[in-house]
Amino acid sequence: MGKIKKKGNSGQAKNYITRTQAVRKLQITLPDFRRLCIFKGIYPREPRNKKKASKTSTPNTTFYYTKDIQYLLHEPLLAKFRDQKSLAKKIARSLGRGEVSDASRLEKNHAPKLTLDHVIKERYPTFIDALRDLDDALSLLFLFANLPSSSHVPPKTIALCQRVTHEFQHYLIATNSLRKSFLSIKGIYYQATIQGQDIMWLVPYRFVQRVNGDVDYRIMATFVEFYTTLLGFVNYRLYSSLGLRYPPKFDTRSDENGAELAAFTLEGRSVGNVPKAIEGNNTKSNALSNQVSSEVQSKVDKVIQDAGLDQTKDEKTVETTEESNDAIDKFEPAAPEADTLDQPDLSAADSGSLFAPFTVYISREAPKAPLEFILRAFGCTRVGWDAVSGDGAFTHDETDTRITHQIVDRPPLPEGALPAAPAAKDGDVPQVKPGTRVPGRTYVQPQWVWDSINEGRLLRPDLYAPGTTLPPHLSPWVKPSRVGYDPKASLAAQEEEGEAELAEEDSGSDEEMEDEKDDKDDKVDEKKNGDAKAAEASDDDDSEEEDGGMDVDLANSDEDEEEDDSESADEDFGGFEDDAASESEDDEEAARSRHQKELEAEAAGLPFSSINGGADEKAKKKSSQAKKIAAKKRKEEEELERQKMMMSRKKRKLLEKMMYSNKKQSDEAAKLRSKRRKLEKGEKGEKGEK
Amino acid sequence: MDASKGSKKRKAITRDVEEEAGTFSGDELSKKNLNGALSDDANDLSSDEGDSEVELVDDFSSDEEEVEGEEGIDSDEIPSDGGDLVKKKSGTAVDEPARDNDDDESSEEEQINFRIEKDAYGNDRYLYDEINPDDNSELSEADEDANTIGNIPLSFYDEYPHIGYDINGKKIMRPAKGEALDALLDSIEIPKGFTGLTDPSTGKPLELSQDELELLRKVQMNEIPDEGYNPYEPTIEWFSSKQEVMPLSAAPEPKRRFVPSKHEAKRVMKIVKAIREGRILPYKAPEERDEEDPNVIKYDLWADEAEDADPHMHIPAPKLPPPGYEESYHPPPEYLPDNKERKTWEQTDPEDRESEFLPNDFGSLRRVPGYENFVKEKFERCLDLYLAPRVRRSKLNIDPESLLPKLPSPEELKPFPTACATIFRGHKGRVRTLAIDPSGLWLATGGDDGTVRVWELLTGRQLWSTTLNEEDPVNVVKWRPGKDAVVLAAAAGDDVFLAVPPIVDPEVEQASLEILDAGWGYAASRPAPTGADANKKNAPPQWIRPSSSLADSGVYAVIPLRYVVKSLSWHRRGDYFVTVCPGSSTPASVAIAIHTLSKHLTQFPFHRRLKGGGPPQTAHFHPSKPVLFVANQRSVRAYDLSRQLLVKIIQPGARWISSFDIHPTSSTAAGGDNLIVGSYDRRLLWHDLELSPRPYKTLRYHRKAIRSVKFHPGGRYPLFADASDDGSLQIFHGSVTGDMLSNASIVPLKVLKGHKITGELGVLEVDWHPREAWCVSAGADGTCRLWM
Repeated sequence: MGKIKKKGNSGQAKNYITRTQAVRKLQITLPDFRRLCIFKGIYPREPRNKKKASKTSTPNTTFYYTKDIQYLLHEPLLAKFRDQKSLAKKIARSLGRGEVSDASRLEKNHAPKLTLDHVIKERYPTFIDALRDLDDALSLLFLFANLPSSSHVPPKTIALCQRVTHEFQHYLIATNSLRKSFLSIKGIYYQATIQGQDIMWLVPYRFVQRVNGDVDYRIMATFVEFYTTLLGFVNYRLYSSLGLRYPPKFDTRSDENGAELAAFTLEGRSVGNVPKAIEGNNTKSNALSNQVSSEVQSKVDKVIQDAGLDQTKDEKTVETTEESNDAIDKFEPAAPEADTLDQPDLSAADSGSLFAPFTVYISREAPKAPLEFILRAFGCTRVGWDAVSGDGAFTHDETDTRITHQIVDRPPLPEGALPAAPAAKDGDVPQVKPGTRVPGRTYVQPQWVWDSINEGRLLRPDLYAPGTTLPPHLSPWVKPSRVGYDPKASLAAQEEEGEAELAEEDSGSDEEMEDEKDDKDDKVDEKKNGDAKAAEASDDDDSEEEDGGMDVDLANSDEDEEEDDSESADEDFGGFEDDAASESEDDEEAARSRHQKELEAEAAGLPFSSINGGADEKAKKKSSQAKKIAAKKRKEEEELERQKMMMSRKKRKLLEKMMYSNKKQSDEAAKLRSKRRKLEKGEKGEKGEK
Repeated sequence: MDASKGSKKRKAITRDVEEEAGTFSGDELSKKNLNGALSDDANDLSSDEGDSEVELVDDFSSDEEEVEGEEGIDSDEIPSDGGDLVKKKSGTAVDEPARDNDDDESSEEEQINFRIEKDAYGNDRYLYDEINPDDNSELSEADEDANTIGNIPLSFYDEYPHIGYDINGKKIMRPAKGEALDALLDSIEIPKGFTGLTDPSTGKPLELSQDELELLRKVQMNEIPDEGYNPYEPTIEWFSSKQEVMPLSAAPEPKRRFVPSKHEAKRVMKIVKAIREGRILPYKAPEERDEEDPNVIKYDLWADEAEDADPHMHIPAPKLPPPGYEESYHPPPEYLPDNKERKTWEQTDPEDRESEFLPNDFGSLRRVPGYENFVKEKFERCLDLYLAPRVRRSKLNIDPESLLPKLPSPEELKPFPTACATIFRGHKGRVRTLAIDPSGLWLATGGDDGTVRVWELLTGRQLWSTTLNEEDPVNVVKWRPGKDAVVLAAAAGDDVFLAVPPIVDPEVEQASLEILDAGWGYAASRPAPTGADANKKNAPPQWIRPSSSLADSGVYAVIPLRYVVKSLSWHRRGDYFVTVCPGSSTPASVAIAIHTLSKHLTQFPFHRRLKGGGPPQTAHFHPSKPVLFVANQRSVRAYDLSRQLLVKIIQPGARWISSFDIHPTSSTAAGGDNLIVGSYDRRLLWHDLELSPRPYKTLRYHRKAIRSVKFHPGGRYPLFADASDDGSLQIFHGSVTGDMLSNASIVPLKVLKGHKITGELGVLEVDWHPREAWCVSAGADGTCRLWM
């Protein structure tokens, strides 16, 4: 007979240790334990059975692995913490005695210096590991780099954060490894790919951060301490991999003048290596841009000044020819609007050349720092800005003829509303009257830059011209899913079958209910039929003849995007093919019978009645459809139940869980679709009124 | 010493005071004397404390009153304040000479404080100088409260509550003072050396002499008690610079006193050497070195990185999900919340909100404000990073459809029987058995009433009926397979009857008769069994012609088996059939019999009882192979008839097998044998013989025993049905695929209810239509039903 096992001596009871026990075992205070855990990356564990692991009945106990704590026992940092504690005691004692100089001497000479190098090596045995974990580090460091200094956040920390983040940004600029960026409500998201690792971080907008009372800066400061060390090592490694000297040369004076990124100068490590020209102030003028601007200048001489649109168009043609040199092979597919996400990501070469031929001037109301960073990371070496925004610009002169693009973010004002510009009095930089346009350059809003880099190609700048309503800014990270809603695709392409008709029916039958329509769960499947749609189309254009060819034209002009998306397009459908394109296979039968009828009608030489669309006929059809749909739905449900009956209970539960989450998603998508439908309808209505 | 003397004197004085006071009050003393005595007293008592001073002061003041009334009253006003005493005294001390002066002045004044002048009449006129009161003159203070009794002793007022009159003639009341009590206390005689203690040895009050008290005091005060001891005696210098004639030690002066130390010289030299060599540097105050930023990294941490296994199961923190469209500063309009959504968002508690922000459209970048919760969100992320337990969870990102078993669509499953189409009524008592003929036109039934009836299947019209056995029920009816002839085999009681119902057209009837009659010749040509053989119990029975009444009704042959036949099954070709007599009294050797129709021959292939599981229950031929399946109560055995071998034993795990059926397409093409077994313990078991001897699927959908199971014949529809005592039939779809890789898929399709349960029995047998997806069932309620 085996020994009788005592409770609490093996298994979970032994493997887990509560926080209090851990603190007592390590003989440190709780704040020190917290710091140690942050540094060492030790986090609580959830025991499989809490009851077995805990000896008390306290419900909210945090557990750690006993082995983790055991491993902390040998940590050199622990000794440092103890040193710190004893030093603090000494200082307190000498301060109590009034020996201030003693205290300061102790503090200065005897303060134990924490080095986290070994911790970083332990936590990230390989460089890739460190890169993988850089997301949170960058987000926090960028936040601290933008914080105002306070008692909790010493200016030294802020300066350090700024330095390491700028160094990191310089690496990204030098290697063109920034991939995507997104302007969100919270801040600006960036994504870079370094050695195959996608790193995403969030940078707040430049505002004073509101600090709520319940934020413990000591904890954040501990993280920042760790992350600065980590990012320092990462930067060293990244710079040395490029053959650059680390740390890069830092011009304090220029930094004080607000140069930010431009205050750093990267230097090669060996003598022969030419320093990479990150500094914006290379005076080498671009012959191409000169030529372009002079060319445009000559044109503009002929054109009246207020013809701004023409001008941008000219500019655009020039651009397109420019860009076509290396990019057109890539974007050869006929429909570039479709499936941009399916295309491979930009390579460094691509992203490095996106803005390369341009000289960009950032107006002073546009956010300089993110624009400068992005433009440089995407190949633009000549970025100028207003002198107000800080040092280090390629040019502070707004009238510089080399400028090809200007990023403005101000509303267009009528001429009269502008205050009379003060006459340029001996100013070294000639002032441009706000609101006027310098001929020969493209004016865009900042979103153009973001959308262009996310798209991987230059977008039409006239869509982003100052004062125009911008196209929606979309997140580049959302992958189109089967159930999800995709704002880029047309509404018809992603509607469930019959959804539109159902919604229309709802709104048509009782208009007063329209407000509540949003909330209504309109995911009831309705069989969509091609003829309703066709009838709709013909209703829109009353003058149109009931001719198949016409229908095709109409459909094509309306929904050429849709055509790409639909995979179930049947070739021999003729005129109705486009309309039926978005249908699912289930409806093919109905469509086919329709087609048959149509052919018969044609043979008989009669006009096909349903195209004419008798209203009562339609209504009848609809009601019959509703019935059909209900029956179909019931049947489907029954079928599902039957299938479920055959599954094991475990699998059934799993299935239900999955169906729940899928349903949530699809509900959300349906809601968005209904909103969009409403919006589109509203627009159409407005147009009709006009 | 002084103090001690004072205290020593104290008692005496306190006692003396009264006498003195008495003297004072009594006698008129010269002021000088008094003053001197007073000052003497004061001096004596300068270090005294306590109540006695009050007394003294009092005396003194009263004394003064005698001298100068006003002043005396003044001092009377502050009688027992010990603190003022010193001042008082100093005052008196100061006053003393002043008073003297006063005295002098007054004597002078008596002479020169007036001038004599002549007035208008020539008389002498005494002109007095204006009295110029000196600053320290008491006279100047004309106190209203001053006692005006003048120069009389206060003792005159002793018996009165007042001590005199003020300037307005009001009584000055005697001030309250402790004098009376003190006087009383003092009046008590305290014996000399009174301590208040009791001598424990004598029990008498302990009295200490003055010397003893002094000694005690000295001990108490940490003084040296000895009177004559001088603690500060002059020191005697034993070792001094003076050469004594007779020194204490005559040892010669040691060398170390005058020779410099070698060791020290060594150490000094060491230091000197070090200084010369520059090893010891002169102290320099540590200058402010430029703050070398310790945060600048100087080396590559991962210079020698090595991929090693993570020592402690580190789970990296999950990354934050990338932002969606709704987080954009300028999202598509459909992402913007409408008023209702906005309201619900604002009303919900911040902790319960699904998203921590509301989508908002700012239109252009310049309008975007700072995000107010940025710091808080990052802080919460930090908290999550070090406080949240991490659990690795495999996320289900599968399409839910993929979990569902791949099922044929309902359209594919159709047709299957769903409703009762025809009810066949006519049998009295239970209908035990039924069968549809191979052409699918007729239904033959047999019941407890001993009749066999043939019905038109679709209409339910009874075509033919005959009573085979008056007493015993008809247990089995089975049509001979094949459409060339119509032969019905029925088992009632101990006999098996072969009949040709007169329902078909004459040609077919003729053909059927020929088939039945062909065997008579063989039987006749065979040597007749010897008597011994005939007597032997297990001798094969002879086929006989039926009685004329039966023959008229269409029965053409009878096989007397001597035991009750419960099961009968035809071979596919229609030349053989096997009967089973499951009765427990049946000898094992005759329980299973194979009959050859063309030879009218009956054989007993088994000589011994089947092993394990009681008597045989039922038997079927394999549809294509020469294999006979025999089921006893617990297992099914397959025998190869040509090789006379046991091929396979199937153990369904049922306790009592009621019936089984073999899939009609078994062993055709590549497919293996599939078998369904029904059992009285409510199980329906599907066996794939290729897989294992154990069931592939066990279905338990019935609440009562399963009486009969049947595949749809011909394999056109992959259906099978079972009949149960709970009065229901269940229809399943069981498709057997051709390839070996995929298993059969079984789908439950339908529960057919309609039969009434009579006597614990529900549906006793089920059979399929050969071509359509119809089935018929025989119920214990005396009806048969056609389901289509």
